[in-house]
Amino acid sequence: MFSVGSMLCLERRMLGLVGFIGGDLHATFGRLLRCPVRSSAVQKTSGSTHHPQRVWLSSQVPLCGHHTPKHRTGLYGPFTLGSSRGLLSLPLFTQRVTLSQGPNTSTAKIRLRTRLVVTLLFGGGLLGTWWYVRNEKRQNHRMQRIEQLKKVALGQGDFSLLDHRGHRRTKRDFLGSWVLLYFGFTHCPDICPEELDKVSAVVSSLDKDRSLPAVQPLFVTVDPERDNVAALERYVKDFHPRLIGLTGTPEEVKVAGKDYRVYASPGPKDEDGDYIVDHTILIYLVNPDGLFLDYYNRMKDDVQIAESVRNHMKSYVKL
Amino acid sequence: MSAPDSKQRKACWGTRDELWKCLDYNQDNAASCEKFQKEFEASCPAQWVKYFTKRRDFLKYKEKMQTEGFEPAAGPKESQS
Repeated sequence: MFSVGSMLCLERRMLGLVGFIGGDLHATFGRLLRCPVRSSAVQKTSGSTHHPQRVWLSSQVPLCGHHTPKHRTGLYGPFTLGSSRGLLSLPLFTQRVTLSQGPNTSTAKIRLRTRLVVTLLFGGGLLGTWWYVRNEKRQNHRMQRIEQLKKVALGQGDFSLLDHRGHRRTKRDFLGSWVLLYFGFTHCPDICPEELDKVSAVVSSLDKDRSLPAVQPLFVTVDPERDNVAALERYVKDFHPRLIGLTGTPEEVKVAGKDYRVYASPGPKDEDGDYIVDHTILIYLVNPDGLFLDYYNRMKDDVQIAESVRNHMKSYVKL
Repeated sequence: MSAPDSKQRKACWGTRDELWKCLDYNQDNAASCEKFQKEFEASCPAQWVKYFTKRRDFLKYKEKMQTEGFEPAAGPKESQS
C-alpha cells in the first residue's frame, strides 16, 4: 500500500515538474502540494521531544513541498520559524533519509526549489538595481536642471510693489517661503483666470500635506494702468485666500517684469478704451532663498505642478 | 470700466460655448446662430468678443492643419551669387 502511494506521489511530482518547465507554476505547486506524507520517514526522524508537532511538520516538508510562507527554502531544507536550533539538523537528516528512499523525486524537487529561489533572488536583485539606478538618474536630471536655471538667474533683482490691500511689499518680504508667481492682468478673457485657478488648486493640494511648508501664491499685474489696488482686490478674492495681488507704478511693474524676463505688450485700444495685453504665460517657482527654481507653462496641469513643487521642496531640504 | 468679476466671466464663457456649439452643429453657418451671437456679444466685453472670435478661427485652422495636412511653405530662395 505504501509503495502504491509513493508511486502516485512520484507521478504527481513529475507532472509538477513538467508543469514548471511548461511555465505553469500553479500546476507545479498544486501538484507538489498534494502529496501524501511518508509515515515511515516521519517515524525515523521524530526523535526530538521538544516540539513533536513541529518535528513532524518539518520532516513532512521535504517530502511534499508543504509551502506555507514560513517555509522559505534553502539547500538545507525548510524549517519552521518557531523551531529551535537543534531542529535545523533534523531536516538534513530527514533529507538524507528520504534521499535513500527516493533519489529522483527529492533531488528533483530540491533542485526545483533552489532554482526558484535563486531566480527570485536574482530577479529581485535586478529589479532593485534598476529601481535604484532610475532614481539616481532622475535626481541627477533634477539637479542639472536646477543648476541650469540658476545660471539663467531670473528674479535676482528686487521689486517693490503695492499689494491688493495697499501695503508696500518687496521681494525681501517673501524670503523664507516658497512662492508661485504669475504675471497677468484683470481684464484677461480666459487665460489668467485659468492659470490662477490652477495655482489655487496647486496651493490647496499642497496645503493638505501638513509636512510641507505653506506656498505663497503671487499675482503681479502687467497692466498697471488699469489694475490699481482696488481692481486687484476685487480680482484676487475669486481665487485662493492666500493669493496676493501686486501692482504699482508702471516703472515699478516694469522692473518686476524685467526681472523675470516677462514679455508684456498692450494691444490696440477699442472705442471703450479696452485692450488686451499680450504677455508671457508662465508660473514661476521661487524658493525661500529668493532663487528662481522652475517654471510651468500652460501644458502642465495642477497635479503635475504640485508634484514638481513637492520634489523641489524635498531636494531643498536635503541640500 | 472695471474688469468682469467671476460671475460675469462665467456668464460670458457660457454664451461663448453656446455659440460655438451652435456653429459646430451648423458647420460654421453664422446666419443660423444669430441669436447666440447676440447673446454672446451682450454678455462679453467687446475686446473679449473679438478675442474669442479670433480664437475660434485659430482653433478651426489648427484642426484643419491637423486633419487635412498642409504643404510646408517654401523656404527662402537661394540668391543668385
